[in-house]
Amino acid sequence: MSVPLYPELAERLGERYTESVFECSFYRRDLAAVPRLLQVALAQTMPQAVVRPRDADDVAAVVRYAAEHRLPLTPRAAATTVYWNAVPVRGGLVIDLNDLRGAPSVNPDAMTVTVPAATRWGELEEALQPRGLATLAYPTSAPSATVGGWVNMEGCGLGSLKYGRLADQLVSLQVVLPSGEIIQATPRSDPPLAVFAQAEGTLGIVTQVEMKIRAKPWAVVPHLLALRDAAALEQAMVALAAVKPAPYTIHFSDSPYATMLRDAGFPPPADGYLLLIVFDGSADEVDAGARALKNVALACQADELDAGTAQAEWEERFLALRLKRAGPTLLGAEVWLPLDRFNSYAADVARLARRQRTPLATYGTVVTPRMATVMSVLRSDESRTVPYVLDLSLTQQLVDIAFRHGGRPYGIGFWNAPYYRRALPPLELAKRLTAKQRLDPLGIMNPGKVYQPPALLPPFVFNTGMQVLSSVRSLGRRIR
Amino acid sequence: MRSFNTGVERETLICARCGYCQAVCPVYRELGWESSGPRGRIAIAQAARSGPLSVDQERRVYQCTLCGHCREVCPTRIDTCDLWLDLRHDLAAHGSIDRWPLKTMRDNLLAAHTITGDPPENRLLWQENLETDIPGLNLGKPAKAVYFVGCVAGLYPQAQGIPQSLAQILARANVEFTTLGSAEQCCGFPLVGMGLEDAAAETARRNVALVKETGASMLIAACPSCYHTWEYLYPKLLGEPTGLQIRHASQVLVELLRDGRLTPQPVEERVTYHDPCDLGRNSGIYDAPRQALAAIPGLELVEMANHREHALCCGGGGNMEVVAPELSAAIARRRLAQALDTGASVLVTPCQQCKRTLANAARQARARLKVLDLNEYLWRAL
Repeated sequence: MSVPLYPELAERLGERYTESVFECSFYRRDLAAVPRLLQVALAQTMPQAVVRPRDADDVAAVVRYAAEHRLPLTPRAAATTVYWNAVPVRGGLVIDLNDLRGAPSVNPDAMTVTVPAATRWGELEEALQPRGLATLAYPTSAPSATVGGWVNMEGCGLGSLKYGRLADQLVSLQVVLPSGEIIQATPRSDPPLAVFAQAEGTLGIVTQVEMKIRAKPWAVVPHLLALRDAAALEQAMVALAAVKPAPYTIHFSDSPYATMLRDAGFPPPADGYLLLIVFDGSADEVDAGARALKNVALACQADELDAGTAQAEWEERFLALRLKRAGPTLLGAEVWLPLDRFNSYAADVARLARRQRTPLATYGTVVTPRMATVMSVLRSDESRTVPYVLDLSLTQQLVDIAFRHGGRPYGIGFWNAPYYRRALPPLELAKRLTAKQRLDPLGIMNPGKVYQPPALLPPFVFNTGMQVLSSVRSLGRRIR
Repeated sequence: MRSFNTGVERETLICARCGYCQAVCPVYRELGWESSGPRGRIAIAQAARSGPLSVDQERRVYQCTLCGHCREVCPTRIDTCDLWLDLRHDLAAHGSIDRWPLKTMRDNLLAAHTITGDPPENRLLWQENLETDIPGLNLGKPAKAVYFVGCVAGLYPQAQGIPQSLAQILARANVEFTTLGSAEQCCGFPLVGMGLEDAAAETARRNVALVKETGASMLIAACPSCYHTWEYLYPKLLGEPTGLQIRHASQVLVELLRDGRLTPQPVEERVTYHDPCDLGRNSGIYDAPRQALAAIPGLELVEMANHREHALCCGGGGNMEVVAPELSAAIARRRLAQALDTGASVLVTPCQQCKRTLANAARQARARLKVLDLNEYLWRAL
């Protein structure tokens, strides 16, 4: 038997350690379909080994080993993003955290729950519901996304409009620092808990999460509005996001989305612009919500669809990816956008669609009284490399449109790293760069992500290259 | 449910890699490597388009119970089980079966038409110590219904209580039925699971002809895999409907109970029910077995944490027990733990394979839980 590359890790983790090329090759991907050519040119995605720790002590041992040997370390759980946040770009070790699981521990007095980081949101909700409890918010990928993963991302989704971002719901985090030290981060610790939220695994590895929960609401009542255009949609979203008590969530989609959904084989509840508004709470709260909604519908000349249709739409909240059946590949950009700029954003996206002769479908979720996360997508086919690479250029155009309207990319990882410095206010940027410098001076923790763009893609080259590709694509479409 | 299958190549591109499947996969839950879940297997399916698979890749293809949980949760509605069978078909075409323990079972099926290699007359052994004599039990004509016994129930001593119970229940209710006796051949499901559809079609033709010779219009299967094969796979394999009404035994039992042709005695027991994958997720039958249990006075039915569409697999499907017995046993242990959590003293399942795997797990764990097939349980109560 050959000597393992990292013998101490092999000994400690036994069957949970592998350097088999076969096994390691499966950790080179997330949801993004990346042409092999780009993958090879831009990054070293093949890890030297993959380890699966069972607990925080295992994680700490792996981190200490990586620090001692200056090994790049890429934390990974469900890997449900498209930005390569959890894909190695400099080889090294992948630390697969999916075995950090176990029963949630509820503190009913404090109304908090403590869970191992790889607990999936769906599982947590299933564990809480029979006890009459519920999470405050969860991602639309709840069946597979992990709690720790969402802590590391932006943490905005269903319920964020009413209960705030996940970062605001955290009570404490158990984190393994890049030094291997295990700390309990709280809002008042040094470093504070907030540093690790949205850090995308670049400042430490979250192994346990304590967060606020709530009593399961007495009622959850969805409503579905059909609107005539993007202007009416914006008007309704702005008005409904300001309703008190706030809706649990507001989800929206535009007319091209309905068409694309139909093309995918799933007839939409109605053609055109749709707004799903969900109120929850006591009977009084949901009734008050329904009354406010009627006023907004009247002001925006919206039609309310029947309750059964609204309920069906709500029950499909985890199925956004069914749109992919229209693909087979979907390309797009997910961005933060001010609600009151939605109409102008939508107009620019429509212009881009016309110029590129390509339908662009838009949908998203209102996550604060002023902001939404917005996804605009186009159909593509990753098996046709040249057209696919040309299609990729539209994602940059969509991000640019968002920037023009006060938005920014949602999630950075590897692919959005060229936008990082542009996306953050200078003070916030300085704070994050300082934290990285302080906590990970060796630069082992998820290197090549977030803070620095890929070596071959500095922002100027990236933007120019994408614009050239976009022009070639547009020209090609006209000639055809 | 509407089928969206557009062919392996496109379906693997449609896969969003969202990991919903991985979160529920019984094999991934035990092995933990990305390669061992459905998301990994789809990557293997993509690789299979460009050449023969490696031994590691083949292993992952066979380490699947075909439980269908991945298909149940897929947001893009990929019929994953179809994909896995297509992959196995490709492997069979490349002669891969000879490299795996499946070889013996395939040879048995092709030579003796039994999964064990037993001679056909051994299919009659279960009839030797019936409590009551049942006239015309073997190819008695004419019969309104044929009870298709299946290989596991007919040939494994541990499972022979199932045909004994069902045959006596049917006789008690005056159902005019017969069996194919020693002429019965394996339904072909294990062959389909190995990717040998042509051989499965051959066996389908023979079995359908035998049933039609009896004049029966109905086929009753107590084995969920046999039921699924007769109801859903035979029409595909044969290219035409069988012309027979295919019923799972649980459906027949419910009707007999409802019509008052069976009157169970009170049973003061807490019972939990395990949904077999081939009956539940793969055939859509969830209520009939529960209704049959509910008809027994005094019985307290308690559900496991995962049930119906989200029931955990027992680990015994998809030829898994042949290819990876330890993995199969580990999956069974996890399901057993859920059963024990209910506090039930009996686990009932309408499947001889689930009964075997879960009873073995219970025995090895020295668990105080009796595992019985639905027919056995009902016969005890009559």
